[in-house]
Amino acid sequence: MFRRAMLTSPLRDLLGEHGPLAERLVEEVRADRGRLPVVFPGLPRRTARAPVGGGRKEFGDALVDLDAFRVCDLVAAYLTTSINATADELIDVFLHGDIEERAMLLRSLTFLPLGDATQRLMIEVLRTNIVLHLEAALCDHNLLTRAIRAGAVDNDTGNRLLLKFAFVDLPLRRAYGAEEQASEELSRMLQDLATEREAAGRSVWRDTWRMLGRAPCQGSLARLIGGLEHGDDGVRHAAADGLLLLTERGAGIAHFAKERIPREPRPEIRELLERLSR
Amino acid sequence: MLIFEPHIHMFSRITDDYERLSLSGVRAVLEPAFWLGQNRTCVGSFIDYFETLIGWERHRAQQFGIHHFCTMGLNPREANDDRVNQDVLDVLPRYCEKDSCVAIGEIGLDDQTETEAKFMAEQLELARKHDLPVLIHTPHRDKKKGFERCIAIIREQNFPMEKILLDHGNEETIKITRDLGCWSGFSIYPHTKMDPARMVSIVLEFGIERFVINSAADWGVSDPMMVPRTVAKLEQAGVPREKVEQLVWKNPIAFFGQSGRLNEEMLANPASANLRETFDGNSVLRGQDPDKM
Repeated sequence: MFRRAMLTSPLRDLLGEHGPLAERLVEEVRADRGRLPVVFPGLPRRTARAPVGGGRKEFGDALVDLDAFRVCDLVAAYLTTSINATADELIDVFLHGDIEERAMLLRSLTFLPLGDATQRLMIEVLRTNIVLHLEAALCDHNLLTRAIRAGAVDNDTGNRLLLKFAFVDLPLRRAYGAEEQASEELSRMLQDLATEREAAGRSVWRDTWRMLGRAPCQGSLARLIGGLEHGDDGVRHAAADGLLLLTERGAGIAHFAKERIPREPRPEIRELLERLSR
Repeated sequence: MLIFEPHIHMFSRITDDYERLSLSGVRAVLEPAFWLGQNRTCVGSFIDYFETLIGWERHRAQQFGIHHFCTMGLNPREANDDRVNQDVLDVLPRYCEKDSCVAIGEIGLDDQTETEAKFMAEQLELARKHDLPVLIHTPHRDKKKGFERCIAIIREQNFPMEKILLDHGNEETIKITRDLGCWSGFSIYPHTKMDPARMVSIVLEFGIERFVINSAADWGVSDPMMVPRTVAKLEQAGVPREKVEQLVWKNPIAFFGQSGRLNEEMLANPASANLRETFDGNSVLRGQDPDKM
């Protein structure tokens, strides 16, 4: 109860002119729980779809980028936290929701207590490739990391979520703290995906090289060194980043970096290679 | 010329139809909730259908740059079915609030039974509650009498006529509806009901005010291209371009815009089409190269 109060108050402060409507909706749903699925889909048109703005902000242990959250997302979060929405209620709204409702609900999860709804909805997210929903569930906040730490999402599900993240080519930096999930098993999964993509002549998630550097598996070192010769600037950068992480583990790859430096056209990558060659 | 196709059952159509519509200038479609060719046996089948209209079908349309809207309602044929009618009415309120739901419909009369009339009246009340306009399906048999009965029910309910679209009209019904203040829809079919030539005659005689035209294409013999085909016929007949544009673009937006959930500005650009997406894990896009579409 304390955590909920701790969250609803700063959320309310951010709603500005939409605060009174949000409070009326809370009262309406408190009086009749059956109203939740009726009022929820109307939030975007009754409030606003514009970003809240204000950059990164902490709400308890949740870290959120308010530039990526819209007013209706925060009203949805305020509504669901204020009424103490149960897991069953949240899952019902999601399963019968339209594309917008699902996005709002997934963004609300970051403000709700971790629990059954977190686990169930993360698994639902695994089954969608709607990028908007993956972004809502995993990007611009640290929900995934918090959920894994708290045991609301197990490591296997966490790995599969990040593999999906790679599958749709979302940048790792948007899932705050997700690099902590690096493991030999996740590296194997990412490397298998990379091999499959390469065989089909398709591009590979660039952050693959960074994750391999954090937790190498069999074949990772060769892939990382090979990445230094890739034609894509982003891949070479990621490979250099990954190799720097490996050298912290004592991998001797200085001579590969030295050999590459004179041919590397990008100054920022040359700088990484200089560090690798020391 | 941009086209808003205000009555088409894309649920029963293939992706080639979406592509042809898009290439013909169709920027938006409206899919009324209706009968599926055979009766459903439980409310769950309706729920799945309604969720297709707000989810999967929108996603399919977006792949071709088309905005997809829908209406929600219990159709008159299944209003007669006691296995489902009341249960459907009970679940409708949450679907009436969905962003892409811009009217109640298709409701109305088919066999013109008392049960149909009862559920039509109840759904007019639902529309009032959700502040939505109403798309009325009129009977294909004994049409003139059915039109008059629909109008009588609307009047009994004291529902505002400007929020009513009486669909599937023809030369006979326009004489009944033109002075009522309601909107008139004309479904252009390949073989039955209205055809493009008859529609041209109606426009030349009665104008275009509060008229919309549609293909009502579904799982039967029908042609989703009937609105673009009729546009061509109207232009060939000398109807000024701005009038044709009002008929096929501005009029449907004006009618369904009464929902407060649709306006011309929202349709200024094609619907976003991220062809890397699939829907709910459905791999229907597998093998397509977005860059080559």
